[in-house]
Amino acid sequence: MRTIAIELRKEKRTGIILLMPMAGILGAAYAFTFFLVQKDTLFNLPLPPMDVLLTQAYGMIMVLNMFGIIAAACMIYNMEFKESAMKKMYALPVSVPAMFFCKFLILTIMLLTAICFQNSTLTNIGLAYLPQGTFAFKTLLAFAGYSYITSMPVLSFMIFISSRSPDMWVTLGIGVAGFLSGMALTASKAPWLCIHPFVMMLKPAAAMSAQPDMAAVIFSLIETAFFLFAGLWAAKIKRCA
Amino acid sequence: MMDNMDYMITTTRLTKKYKSFVAVDNVSLNIRKGSIYGFLGPNGAGKSTTMKMLLGLTAPTTGSFTIDGKQFPNDRLSILKAVGSFIESPSFYANLTGRENLDIIRRILRLPANCVEDALELVGLSEFGGRLAKKYSLGMKQRLGLAEALLGRPPILILDEPTNGLDPSGIHEIRNLIKSLPGFYNCTVLISSHMLSEIELIADDIGILNHGRLLFEGSLDELQQKAIQSGFAADHLEDMFLSMVDKDNADRKQRAKL
Repeated sequence: MRTIAIELRKEKRTGIILLMPMAGILGAAYAFTFFLVQKDTLFNLPLPPMDVLLTQAYGMIMVLNMFGIIAAACMIYNMEFKESAMKKMYALPVSVPAMFFCKFLILTIMLLTAICFQNSTLTNIGLAYLPQGTFAFKTLLAFAGYSYITSMPVLSFMIFISSRSPDMWVTLGIGVAGFLSGMALTASKAPWLCIHPFVMMLKPAAAMSAQPDMAAVIFSLIETAFFLFAGLWAAKIKRCA
Repeated sequence: MMDNMDYMITTTRLTKKYKSFVAVDNVSLNIRKGSIYGFLGPNGAGKSTTMKMLLGLTAPTTGSFTIDGKQFPNDRLSILKAVGSFIESPSFYANLTGRENLDIIRRILRLPANCVEDALELVGLSEFGGRLAKKYSLGMKQRLGLAEALLGRPPILILDEPTNGLDPSGIHEIRNLIKSLPGFYNCTVLISSHMLSEIELIADDIGILNHGRLLFEGSLDELQQKAIQSGFAADHLEDMFLSMVDKDNADRKQRAKL
């Protein structure tokens, strides 16, 4: 708790804490406008109403979340590398892997906040516009959890890259390249593409059904844990170099 | 004859190699408790590398060291808690004020809140504590780096070129501050500097490093004796230092030819 409190203090004036909730609000505003303007067309699609509600606006919401994660990951370590602040941390009795873990935790909570904003708006839209008796809160919760879990590999990967790269633009470049390659590869059915964290995040956006894909959930959890442990290990190794 | 207990920092054949390049070569230092130890050497002599090893920022290739009887890496946390450091250039969070930067370190070290004002006052930054660190002048950044090292008045200070970037009055002020510290709260200071006149004025003991090797260790008087014995000019530290380094460089060239 002490390390996380210190990490939060470090982030003052960086905008990191506000970034993900802002992405959440933007995503929520987009979903609201999208359904307000296109509700007639959307609810006439040959799809179950809950699938329409959860999948049709998710593409843009996911892109906003993804860029929020990329930007926040770039910023969260940029402030450590800028003016060599990290160098001072190495010379203090502080655990660098614990610092990494706290940053991971902060971004994870911020992403959760964004997803909460977006899904509470989707709940309101569902209650207001979906045909009577078709809104299923359980389905919405399951999809929210699914989209959160499939977003975690990108978060875990980006924070790992950011912690290794003193140049923020390199991290940003990798994030953008990940997004573009993910977009290009998402339609492919090749199972080995599941190792691409951005493909995992794009999966729910490419699907027409709100039903969570359990294979994607398992792959996402494994990848998240992999990049998290890689980051913790690298933080420990770097200190002793 | 000094007992090991009288030394705050001792290194034993400390060596750091980067592939075939030997940055620090079998350096054995003995730094007395409560003294100011001036660490001298030309650029690339291995001063900063030695200091980084003492802080655990880089691992020695061979050799060992103890700080206040404790050893790396087993006692890493307790060593780092007792050492205030300033290595190469000031390190700080650009998005925070000077005071906030010190507060982060204070929280890490679990020190009382008044330590921040104490450190700011020691380096003459109290007036500017509320200003963003990125807006500080070079000299102010240097002072902030020093304040970070002095936070909580640690018993050991490792300072690498702490007066770089300061104006003459700043240099004078910081020199007097460093000189007063052992008397003020009985700390031990290891300080490196290119400004030999600075070291001459504040150091109790001197270590001279060249190409990673320790050429001399002892008091200024002992250095003077050695310089006289070797036929070097012994009026100023600068003369003795330059003669010693030049001779070592000539010997190295000679050995390389053979």
